[in-house]
Amino acid sequence: MPTLEAAEKVTGATRYVGDLLVPNMAHAKVLRSPLPHARVLSIDAAEARAAPGVVCVLTRDEVRAAGIEPVYGFVYRDAPLVALDKVRYQGDIVAVVVAEDAAAAEAAAELIEVDYEELPAVMDVEAALADGAPLVHESFSPIAPELRPIEGTNVCHRAHIARGDVEAGFREAYRVYEDTFTAPPVQHCALDLHACIASIEDGAITVWTNCQSPFPLQRELQRIFKMDARVIVPYVGGGFGSKSRDRLECVVTAAAQLAGRPVRLVLTQEETFQTFIRPAYHGTIKTGVRADGTIVARHVRFTIDVGGYAISGARSANNTLKVATGPYRIPNVLVECDAVYTNKPPSAPYRGLPTTQHTMAYETQLDRIARDLGIDPVELRMRNLVVDGDVHITGDLLRSTHAKECLEAAAAGIDWGTPSTPPETPSKLRGKGVSCTIKYTLTPPTRMSENGAAISLGEDGIFEVRIGTVNIGQGSDTTMAQFAADGLGVGLERIRVVHSDTALVPVDSSTTASRSTYHMGNAVLDAASKLTAETLAVASHLLERDAGDLALGPDGVEAPDGPTLAYDELVRRSGGPLSALGECVVGGTYTAPDGTEYPIASTFWSFASAAAEVEVDTDTGEVRVLRMGAASNVGKAVNPDSVRTQLEGGLGMELGPTLFERLVWDEGGQLLTAALMDYPLPTMETSPTYRPEIVEHPFEGGPFGAKGMGEIGSVITPAAVLNAVYDATGVMFHEVPLLPHKVLEALEAL
Amino acid sequence: MRPFEYLRPTTLAEATDVLAEHGDDALVIAGGTAAVVMMTLGVLRPGTVVDVGRVPELGGSRADGGVLRLGALTTIRSIERDPAIAQTYGLLAEAASQVANVRVRNRATVGGSVCYGEPQTDMPPALIAMGASATLVSSSSTRTVPLADFFEGPYETALEPGELLSEITVPQPEPGSEPGAGTGGCHMKFTIGSPENKPVANASVLVRLDGAGRCVEARIVLGALGPVPVVAVDAAALLDGEVPDAKLIAEVASRAGDAADPADDLRGPVWYKRRIARVLVERALRCALRKAGHEVP
Repeated sequence: MPTLEAAEKVTGATRYVGDLLVPNMAHAKVLRSPLPHARVLSIDAAEARAAPGVVCVLTRDEVRAAGIEPVYGFVYRDAPLVALDKVRYQGDIVAVVVAEDAAAAEAAAELIEVDYEELPAVMDVEAALADGAPLVHESFSPIAPELRPIEGTNVCHRAHIARGDVEAGFREAYRVYEDTFTAPPVQHCALDLHACIASIEDGAITVWTNCQSPFPLQRELQRIFKMDARVIVPYVGGGFGSKSRDRLECVVTAAAQLAGRPVRLVLTQEETFQTFIRPAYHGTIKTGVRADGTIVARHVRFTIDVGGYAISGARSANNTLKVATGPYRIPNVLVECDAVYTNKPPSAPYRGLPTTQHTMAYETQLDRIARDLGIDPVELRMRNLVVDGDVHITGDLLRSTHAKECLEAAAAGIDWGTPSTPPETPSKLRGKGVSCTIKYTLTPPTRMSENGAAISLGEDGIFEVRIGTVNIGQGSDTTMAQFAADGLGVGLERIRVVHSDTALVPVDSSTTASRSTYHMGNAVLDAASKLTAETLAVASHLLERDAGDLALGPDGVEAPDGPTLAYDELVRRSGGPLSALGECVVGGTYTAPDGTEYPIASTFWSFASAAAEVEVDTDTGEVRVLRMGAASNVGKAVNPDSVRTQLEGGLGMELGPTLFERLVWDEGGQLLTAALMDYPLPTMETSPTYRPEIVEHPFEGGPFGAKGMGEIGSVITPAAVLNAVYDATGVMFHEVPLLPHKVLEALEAL
Repeated sequence: MRPFEYLRPTTLAEATDVLAEHGDDALVIAGGTAAVVMMTLGVLRPGTVVDVGRVPELGGSRADGGVLRLGALTTIRSIERDPAIAQTYGLLAEAASQVANVRVRNRATVGGSVCYGEPQTDMPPALIAMGASATLVSSSSTRTVPLADFFEGPYETALEPGELLSEITVPQPEPGSEPGAGTGGCHMKFTIGSPENKPVANASVLVRLDGAGRCVEARIVLGALGPVPVVAVDAAALLDGEVPDAKLIAEVASRAGDAADPADDLRGPVWYKRRIARVLVERALRCALRKAGHEVP
């Protein structure tokens, strides 16, 4: 079914943060660092303050004078509101100018004189890990308990996960393969640019923003400003992880406090490149196999370039330790990671990051193994894929896997096993490739509810569903309305959804990591069940009938033989709205059949496969993706249209970083791909045809058996394309993007 | 974007007067597809913006007396869609159809796409291959400059402060003089990602054949492969009086690649751009010959 807001969106009626107006609001512009790494010696904003239309200028002096907490961050408290002693990347926030309009603020920002002492910069992980490398941060301030920095280095988190004995595994292997893969940073390029408005009135903060984590942001605002805060997130026009953590809201709130009036900041597209990016990935994978292709050992070492601030990059690295060896049954595994500070912009998750890069590494290498052993790539995977009842490297017992069925469905989408139609000229080559993956969702270390949902029946006879899930284009309002309608037994026309306003909805951790359908879905069903019981109890009293004889009908509570008590009337007669709060409890441990207690590493595990057919032009090196198949076991497709389009959207989005997207800095740390004219994005003209398939095997515990799937289309894309190019040309690529000159160079080196 | 003074003259005389007054500080704007982006990015920071979009003398296009006259305000989209242009000046229509995307083509003007002087854009190579000239007017003079001499460097042209491009004239290609002879033109580009992006290279090729399939005229112009469009004179000369075959086409393409003067940038290293130049010239030449009635196997 179409999403509830589809008509509103296609007619342009939807209002995003950038469309909002608040009375008396002023406009902000950020002054950014021109240098990647420098000490800030002095800031002179006197001329800017005196410029026409300027309300105030926020620098480190004002932040210190305000007595607020000057540094923020969810996992490391390492990001200053505005630069304090140093700037740590080109584009770092130095000052915020507030003026009557954005043009005046922009003009005044140029009048601020900043005296920098340039410091040597570390522009990539290799430089940052070198002996004697300049330190991006002189000290560490981790908050999240699982993070382990290495003092005196740029490594802000080092971790590993192991099972079995990887060295013994390699010793017993028939062959051992080792490959190194790299992927450069890219940016999410959501249509809706980062925007927020902050207002402080009567000692309380209100922030309108397009952040994907309103409740964590609320807590951060309360901590920094020591006052109550409300975060309102209207519809968001895409985030893909770039808005998973706040970056601007606390800064703009500090500006609003200084200005004494509401302040609005909307970034330009160019500024988003300096706000959050997908980090650079470097991974070495070593795999040992038996002669029949059975994988016996795998060792993965990878680094993540978290940039100047570890706002979420370190935790992303840590989370993906558990998926870096793939959806395979491997007795001996070791995965090690370093998350490293550099002088790049801060990193953020990017639709599954860095599971995508892990998948690229292990799946591309698997095709090399397949060729070497003379086994069909699909067959080799079939021999190794996990099945229900297998134990994952984390100790989790896997269920609702069906990875093999996903692979079969994806491969069928490109007629795997049938040769490609010959291209129009002999200078073009065609080939096919597949990929498989496993993905986790964010899971708390202890058993707890991170999600609440409230449903109330009001005097208008409408069930209002209040959820913290941010409607970011994924169709969450519709999915949650479907859950509520089914749980209550009423039609969708009786449901109204209120989303992501911390003053109106129960706490939710975040709209990230493909988690909403499962977590919020369960919370909504829980609330629906409780509200049903309450409604029937009230009706039972009013109708003087046994509650067991009553049921919720389309328009009111129905008795088998009697009249219907209309919902609006029920509420009026009962003396006010009825309401119930639902929750979804996750995390903790489970007991394995042998009695061992394991912490649950992921509430559910997602499985998916992609298949791609490509055409390579051997004159130009151009790679065109002709068609793609994909399939994911989603447990239950609540809204099949949304599931298919999410899958397709992930495939299409990731084709950019697979084929041509990348951020490039020069040696001096200046971003060269600073605007969209130098940063191509995928467009419809070059899109392949997609065959997204749904695989449904209900997941016990999921709402109607559903699991999350928002990111997995993206995760499976690069490997499938690389393998198809490998098939077409015989060249195995170890990096993305597949820029045509690199492809041509590799073809000619054959 | 910095604040600026906005002027909108309604006659050509008024426009040139305004330009004479403001000189270098004035930015002429028509469709705005390039100027507004550059101003938003802060690359251009004019004190005065002169919008010539309402100057009637700059509009309109007509073909008469063997010459196509394109008013500076003629949109790229109208060049793409005009049946008369497609019939006789097909190379122009073909290049126009490859400019950016349809939203841009609806707004962008031929005058703007030339005066912008961007090395990667599609119209200059096609116009140069067709032998076009620009008419430049100021409050005190009018002069005509062949487009082959108009471009002086990236974003630099022969326009003097106070001058305005009013019209582009394109001579009608000579029809073949014997039965079976013909003229053929082709424009091709190679982009990474989407066809809307700035190309790695583009190439316009125009050929005229006699009744025996001999090439009596050939022009090859490359874009994005140097600070200004590259007219590959030596490469084209190889075709003089010859009946092109696969071997000759490959030689012409190779020579054209040598004429290119590309820079190493985000769109590729120098060796790669030369390679692409060769591939494009080879493909465009084959296509132009086919249109002229000579299919090379």
